[in-house]
Amino acid sequence: MQDSWKDDQPIYRQLHDRILGLILSGALKEGEALPSVRQVASDYQINHLTVSKAYQELVDAGLVEKRRGLGMFVLPGAQQKIATSEREKFISQELPNLIAKARQLGIREAELTKAIRQMMKESN
Amino acid sequence: MQPVIKARGLSKSYGSKRVLDSIDLDLMPGRILGLIGPNGAGKTTLLKAILGLAPAQGELAVLGLNPHTQRTRMLQEISFIADTAILPRWLKVKQALEYLEGVHPRFDRAKAEVFLQRTEVKAHMLVRQLSKGMLTQLHLALVMAIDSKLLVLDEPTLGLDILYRKQFYNTLLDDYFDKDKTILITTHQVEEIENLLTDVVFIRQGKLCLNTSMEELQDRFIELQLTDDQLAKVAGHTPIHSRPILGGKALIFEGGDRELLRSLGPIKTPSLADIFVAKMHGEKL
Repeated sequence: MQDSWKDDQPIYRQLHDRILGLILSGALKEGEALPSVRQVASDYQINHLTVSKAYQELVDAGLVEKRRGLGMFVLPGAQQKIATSEREKFISQELPNLIAKARQLGIREAELTKAIRQMMKESN
Repeated sequence: MQPVIKARGLSKSYGSKRVLDSIDLDLMPGRILGLIGPNGAGKTTLLKAILGLAPAQGELAVLGLNPHTQRTRMLQEISFIADTAILPRWLKVKQALEYLEGVHPRFDRAKAEVFLQRTEVKAHMLVRQLSKGMLTQLHLALVMAIDSKLLVLDEPTLGLDILYRKQFYNTLLDDYFDKDKTILITTHQVEEIENLLTDVVFIRQGKLCLNTSMEELQDRFIELQLTDDQLAKVAGHTPIHSRPILGGKALIFEGGDRELLRSLGPIKTPSLADIFVAKMHGEKL
């Protein structure tokens, strides 16, 4: 019935990440308004404080701004900022996990790099 | 800011049975509180005390008023949906609107009519012709159209199908709720309202055994999943609940050392339903 949330992270965090994803993919453009807190609360059937908390984190990160009486807007440069931080996150957090998993499965470095190289070539 | 509900040492007994036992509660404006407990735990008695329907000992103020001596004034700013159908079966929908318009100073009939237009409930229908879902829509229409400060819902979605339930909560969040309004809701359907709540109270044998904001709840309860061969690692830390999972156990800790638990295995915030089970089966009162 509800959109599925993962249970390993608070919902506001996941909502925050979904919005980052939308800005990064360009679905939510710089200068555009975020949906209202009420709208998101009603759509996802979550309380307004959860939505506000997610939005506040975006404000604190300098990605969106609150315009009094109008709502939240994506700031210029937000997409670039997110791309930079997500790239760092990928290298510093996701890659080590991937390598740990490969090690656990006994996949050797040469094998792994070969597979990566091939996949990168195919997706180009 | 004045609390919408403030209770101190609220107690009530039926004969020798204590149904409310020294309840302390503060509910602030703009919050959505879930009151959750097994059958017979005292939920309805507590709601009745708050609504001024049954007296209780101790201190109780609702919107700053005494629910007994100032009930008429208090009720002007409260709306309530009971779990049982309370509208007379011979009443027409139109008559229900007329009646409320006549007796309630804060009822906006036009608003109720606009809401009903979006449903299958027609003005000429009799209450007894309405399905359970339609009856809930009628209740909702009446209650939404009252500019109240506190909305009390007692098992509002009991017996409704998924479509009506979803619509019910959508309407509540979209058309009714704002930062000046407060909602108190009792339900057995914990999963359904978990993400909606800002605060939660568990009641068991007339006592509150949990009274916290959802934010605090996330800090206070930790679920740690361990495989059977890792269980020895938590010796010395006592979980309040443990349930079997594939290949191991899920342990729920209250007020545990988060960093320590994280070092032992994957942790997460347990669901409200799991915390409920833990608290209800847990320590004897």
